[in-house]
Amino acid sequence: MWHNVWAVIRREYLQRVRSKWFIMVTLLAPIIMIAMIVIPTFIAARSDRSDRDLLIVDGSGVLYERLASDFEASGYTVAEEPWTVDVVTDLRQQASDGEIGGFLVLDDLTLETGEAVLYANERPSLIRRMTLRSAIASAALEYQLEQQGLDAGAMLAGGELRVEMLVDEGSDTDDPQFFVAYMGTMFLYMVILIYAVSVMRATLEEKTSRIVEVIVSSMKPWHLMLGKILGVGAVSLTQIAVWLSMGALAVGAGIPMLIAARPELANLDTVVAVLPGLWLLILFVGLFLFGFFMYSGLYAAVGAMCSTDEEAQQAQFPVMMFLIIPILFVLQAIQEPLTPLVTWLSLFPLFSPVLMWARVAGGGVPGWQIGLSFVLMGATVIGVAWLAGRIYKVGILMAGKKPSLPELWRWVREA
Amino acid sequence: MSDDGFAVKLEGVTKRFGKHTAISDFDFEVPRGTICGLLGPNGSGKTTSIRMIMGILHPDEGRVSLFGSDPDVTRRTKVGYLPEERGLYKKMKVLELLTFLAEIRGVRRSEGRKRAGVWLERLGLTEWSDKRAEDLSKGMQQKVQFIGTVLHDPELLILDEPFSGLDPINQDVLEEIVRDYHAKGTTILFSTHLMHQAEKLCERVCLISNSKKVLDAELKELKAAERKGVVAVEFEGPDTWIRGPEVDHVEEVNGALHLILRDGADHQAILARGVQSEARILRFDLVEPTLHEIFVRHAGADAVGDAGMPVLAGASGT
Repeated sequence: MWHNVWAVIRREYLQRVRSKWFIMVTLLAPIIMIAMIVIPTFIAARSDRSDRDLLIVDGSGVLYERLASDFEASGYTVAEEPWTVDVVTDLRQQASDGEIGGFLVLDDLTLETGEAVLYANERPSLIRRMTLRSAIASAALEYQLEQQGLDAGAMLAGGELRVEMLVDEGSDTDDPQFFVAYMGTMFLYMVILIYAVSVMRATLEEKTSRIVEVIVSSMKPWHLMLGKILGVGAVSLTQIAVWLSMGALAVGAGIPMLIAARPELANLDTVVAVLPGLWLLILFVGLFLFGFFMYSGLYAAVGAMCSTDEEAQQAQFPVMMFLIIPILFVLQAIQEPLTPLVTWLSLFPLFSPVLMWARVAGGGVPGWQIGLSFVLMGATVIGVAWLAGRIYKVGILMAGKKPSLPELWRWVREA
Repeated sequence: MSDDGFAVKLEGVTKRFGKHTAISDFDFEVPRGTICGLLGPNGSGKTTSIRMIMGILHPDEGRVSLFGSDPDVTRRTKVGYLPEERGLYKKMKVLELLTFLAEIRGVRRSEGRKRAGVWLERLGLTEWSDKRAEDLSKGMQQKVQFIGTVLHDPELLILDEPFSGLDPINQDVLEEIVRDYHAKGTTILFSTHLMHQAEKLCERVCLISNSKKVLDAELKELKAAERKGVVAVEFEGPDTWIRGPEVDHVEEVNGALHLILRDGADHQAILARGVQSEARILRFDLVEPTLHEIFVRHAGADAVGDAGMPVLAGASGT
């Protein structure tokens, strides 16, 4: 009978992948995502032309030379304003008259602490502040090290700080890791929900269009359900694969090329540095697949027991709650991934996809917990398949009113 | 595994939905190779019976067998089933849809595609092969659906109200196809509320009314047995003579009046009255009763009329 399942998978997959809607979403979503990252940087780079003309007052007398080349490499045009007693007052006046956009003041304190003052009419972006700050600090450090007779270049280039945490701890909201963890949970939540709902809609469509009667006359309902879920699952994997490879292409080739062509976009590097590694991607896909199989089974059952879209909208709510509840704990899971509450919640299979991701991306979850959650999710997939298969079998051919809970239980027992 | 020569066999089947009994104590057999009509007004239990044969519903009492055994998937796959409520995948292209329907019944894709092409041509739908199902008219969709039913060369065709929704030309086309399948030895069971359609096609008929079986016999035998029952008359002048204790009721059929006699009544008495009256009798003819008349005799005009069946044989249904 497997040729049946295969035929259903094939139909489901081709119908969906060939639809204009799918092609559009698959191709446009990453383009929009990339555009959302690149365009603001680009606009910032353009509109801030005046800001890019950076006037530097160097009270220390040694930093300007070092900084000038750094800044120019990042797309600034720098000019030195000689130090005078009134220079700050003068320049402030010029700035408020709109003659200059702003200026940077360095002094001896900068050499000691890396502290500098940027006078600006408009608040510079976070990325820009970070760029300036680190350039100044390393210039100061370089100078100091040279004074000590050390090879500052080698020291700064090779000197990487390896952090060995004695206590596992989560990510702070300022951390780039937080961004990965948080965006990841939202993305997981969305794709699982979207594709599980597609399974429900497909089931409902077959039921309301009545074609299911013909199909089930030549195959087992369970095979039909399995084919549907696997077909939609294959579609989702295709989409995620396209997204990931477009992302990889953008990060691996696109952004470096863009930066090479337009040095003022160098800030994009900061974004790239934050992206998750291969291991996290594998975990992501794994969590998605298990989550999808659990939820699509439940959603298929919901679709099978309803007769109209409105009914299905209502009936899906209890299932959806299981996806929404973990979202409430995401912040906590990222910041304190090892508290007992979050640990237990993340091991509950229906919560695992969202919460386990949040904890792992947050940092420091023992491997056995990840393994255990996958074992538990695997068992749940089997349980859901059994339960949903039975509800599906009865529901798919049933017309009329949505069953009550006791009726549903009778379906499960009798199927 | 013996199937007693019956493609379908129902023994004492009862099915209830809540308090409503859809079909009660129903015995019914479809011998292999016959064309059998399941007749009755809307709501009489035809579709419920068919859905039980297809294993979609399960009887509350009694036994249903398909090819001598339970109607499981293996046996159902040998059936071409056209349900009463029809549906297609709206967004799918016609040819792909048909290939898919053939594929899930075990026909290889290339073969399914080929057969679908042949059928689409036969039914004049070739130019629609690459159109989506939703772009087709209702009638065309129904033809596509029918093609989907026969692509895997079933041993048994079960067609629930196959003629409804088709125009007369396409009804004839479908009739011809059914005859072709019959000639090839395929067993055919179809349900209809259109008596004239059944009359043209069936070898056997089973009449049900109000959830109960009324009649179940070979059409020829049935008609021979009922032959005495109907007199067609045409005349000029007064019509009082046609009323009498022998006559159950009168119907107009194709311009003539059909006198439906009570059981055991003698038509001679009516003729005698006619001769004595002032009427000029142009025709006095014992006719084969139409299936409709037979049905009315057995089920009662009330049962038929109330159930919304056309009173005149030949009127088209919806």
